[in-house]
Amino acid sequence: MEQAGDLELARLARGGDESAFAEIVRRHSPRVFRVASRFFRQRERVEEAAQEVFLKAFTQLDSFEGRGSFEGWLTRIATNTCLNLLRAAGRRPELTVSDLTEDEGAWLDNQLSGAAAARHEAAERGRVAADLAGRVLDTMSADDRLVLTLVDGEELPVKEVAEMTGWSESKVKVQAFRARRRMREAVEKLLQFGGKR
Amino acid sequence: MKDQHIIGILEGGPLARLSEGELAAARAHAEGCAECRRAFDAARVSAALLRERAAERVEPSPFFQTRVLAALRERLAEEETPSLRRLWRAAGALVSSMAAAVALLAVFTFVAPNLGLAPADDGQVAATAPDYYSTDAALFGPAETADAEVDYDQVFRAVYASAESEDVNE
Repeated sequence: MEQAGDLELARLARGGDESAFAEIVRRHSPRVFRVASRFFRQRERVEEAAQEVFLKAFTQLDSFEGRGSFEGWLTRIATNTCLNLLRAAGRRPELTVSDLTEDEGAWLDNQLSGAAAARHEAAERGRVAADLAGRVLDTMSADDRLVLTLVDGEELPVKEVAEMTGWSESKVKVQAFRARRRMREAVEKLLQFGGKR
Repeated sequence: MKDQHIIGILEGGPLARLSEGELAAARAHAEGCAECRRAFDAARVSAALLRERAAERVEPSPFFQTRVLAALRERLAEEETPSLRRLWRAAGALVSSMAAAVALLAVFTFVAPNLGLAPADDGQVAATAPDYYSTDAALFGPAETADAEVDYDQVFRAVYASAESEDVNE
């Protein structure tokens, strides 16, 4: 089964071969997890989303005709499934400076001063920043989060993001433009009031 | 105008994709403009946050494959259950009508005879029930024969009278 191509595995899985579907899951889990990680941070939520992606893919195996890559087809399903899950979850209220932890406040101060943070290791600083990024993104719409993570965070080309989401390239650009402004304004408020602490 | 220019640069694309020249121009402009300075700082921090967020990865656990297959089996089983329900609903009408017919037959068989709703079929009941097909009933009507004892002389007289009147008419 490990030697079989994606198209063959999809055909077998469609016919009810569970081991073929198991091989699809094994082969493509890292990619699906990578997509789900863009939307969710907690391991449990990432796993739930990834599981939902594979269940949806199973029911849609008929639509895979082998014209494009299986990975591209699965990535589109993963992106749209995660986007829908995120939309259903809604967004959190605006993040204010009083919601920040001490580490997050220190990280922002260090960013402004440009000084290297001596009190934490790089990995720890990265975790603090990722936590803060997640909390800021949680206050934004699902579409804003997606486009910011892909275009600005991962620096993917607009064309690739358009293929993943099924949006037009102009929609990706406009969405990114507006999302960038909203994120900048949210961070500006934190910096402004954070500086007065 | 100058603010819009800086903000246009900041929002036009990822900060990391700005050229050295664009970045230097933006930085120089921000030095002399408080509003643009705040916007530039916020854009810089936003970019750093998104970069750190993008660097995070969650890897699949060793049990993920098993978990997905178990969920798939469960979901397929759930999808089969409604089809059985649909089948039962379709058969429900037939089963209900059959049950109603059986109940009706049971009522006619066991309950109706005791209430006098059906024709008598044994001697005991026949002795007490009115006989609408007897000669008495034909001559005197059911009301008279039901409760009164029949006088056979009256019967003969009525028969002869009826025969004589037929002869006269002829």
